[in-house]
Amino acid sequence: MSEITQDTVLCPDQLHTHTQSPPLPRPVRPHPVRTVEMTSFGILGRPTAAISLVTAVVILSAWWATSQFGLVSPLFLPAPAEVVTQFANIYRDGYAGASLGEHLFASLFRILTAAAIAISLAIPIGLLMGVNRVAKGVLDTPIEFYWPLPPLSYLPLMIIWLGIGETSKITLLTLAMFAPICLSAQAGVRALPIERINAARSLGASRFQLFTDIVFPSALPEILTGIRIALGIGWGTLVAAELIASTRGIGFMIMSAGQFLATDVVFVGIFIIAACAFSSAAAIRLLETALVPWKGRT
Amino acid sequence: MLSVDQASVYFATRDGRTVQALDRVSFDIPDSGFVVALGASGCGKSTILNAIAGFLPLSEGTITLNGRPVSGPGADRGVVFQKDTLLPWKTIADNVGLGLKFARVSRLERLDRVEELLRLVGLADFAAAYPYELSGGMRQRVGIARALATEPEILLMDEPFGALDSLTREQMQELLVSVWTRTGKRIFFITHSIEEALFLGTHVLVMSPRPGRIVGRFDPPFMRQFAKSGDARAVKTAPEFAELREEIRAMLHATDTVRRDAA
Repeated sequence: MSEITQDTVLCPDQLHTHTQSPPLPRPVRPHPVRTVEMTSFGILGRPTAAISLVTAVVILSAWWATSQFGLVSPLFLPAPAEVVTQFANIYRDGYAGASLGEHLFASLFRILTAAAIAISLAIPIGLLMGVNRVAKGVLDTPIEFYWPLPPLSYLPLMIIWLGIGETSKITLLTLAMFAPICLSAQAGVRALPIERINAARSLGASRFQLFTDIVFPSALPEILTGIRIALGIGWGTLVAAELIASTRGIGFMIMSAGQFLATDVVFVGIFIIAACAFSSAAAIRLLETALVPWKGRT
Repeated sequence: MLSVDQASVYFATRDGRTVQALDRVSFDIPDSGFVVALGASGCGKSTILNAIAGFLPLSEGTITLNGRPVSGPGADRGVVFQKDTLLPWKTIADNVGLGLKFARVSRLERLDRVEELLRLVGLADFAAAYPYELSGGMRQRVGIARALATEPEILLMDEPFGALDSLTREQMQELLVSVWTRTGKRIFFITHSIEEALFLGTHVLVMSPRPGRIVGRFDPPFMRQFAKSGDARAVKTAPEFAELREEIRAMLHATDTVRRDAA
């Protein structure tokens, strides 16, 4: 099939010979043209994945070479193979009395519970602060006061007030994740063009319909960006939250291994957290393409 | 009947002065009247539209629609904006049906009405498309369909074709005339193009800036001529059209405060 097509397309003169007409000259291949585009600034969506991949390979090779040639003591930098072996060991035998799954589940449970609470509080509160003067005035003071603080600095307070159980850890994570989502929801309302509100009003929208049909979807792109930042902060705070009086969790595993100078276990923990944080960011990106496909195209 | 009676608007500037944007403007928009407010920027034409739409309260004077004073925006006055205000997350059909959704019309009924309106503006094939897939002219047509969906008493159009290229603009003018003849809606239309005002308006209000006021009123016959003949070029190249255009041009120049101050 493909051969026939090729013949018909590339050799029209042959077809003509069959019908006894004089052979036409072969179509001249168009001269290769130089396509051009406007000079741009910045990256502008040009792919960077290949460069990133090469960088990763270079870093891994450097790590491998450093340990292979004994440049650094394994106490400080274990060989890649050692980390992989240790991962297999922990996966098989667990660590400090709990399986790897239990450690991972403990961490995931804390961060996901905190994320759910933070998201369901921060979105309505942030939107309300964006549209209501009193709400903005009242809530701005405590939020602006606490959110620049490093979560570690008020962790002792959480423990004194809420005990050493899950409540204090989840509260700490919730507080850390609340602020970026709340602030981004406010920014989303600020970016809302007044024409869009006026158009909806002259179509008969009630205040509640304005909120659900115009304000919330308009702010959604910013809110999703806020959630992505919040999850990043959440993973960062998790280790701090699991520092104190924990017996489970990836953060606990890292801290405990550090005390025994088990550098390879520390590396295993770091890679697990990196993988988790990367997946959650990727999940939010997927959510963005599903929920706000119009982003950047208006 | 929509009546604007002795409408004045004063704005406060940042440095504490007051600026008069509108000076005792009065006019009526009769049933199936097409009233065009024409003037340079700063003549208060958008101010008066915002007041009729209910986005801006008046400092003095009243606006009544069928005898009831206008207070705040409502579905009885449909607005088409210069910048398209379609919702990017909704399809064309859902954008057109937005006002009906706000009025809690069932989805099935909405679809019928939306289909009819999209046919009216020539976009029946684009019901499932998203706004970013449409050209500027097409989006403005969606905006017109959306404003008509709630069966408003009047259509308010704030330089709706201002951002379009001149060819699209002429097509849109002709489309608007056909919408007007088929629906018989009252229309209040703002433009700074003399030709557009003369071609579209059954009544043209010529406005001048600082403070915004009406300096001339005309009742051009051209739109009805076009509605009858369908030949826009013939209407626009007729000597009467050119004559009236030059008369209004002279009138606008005479009240041009920038030129007067410079002279």
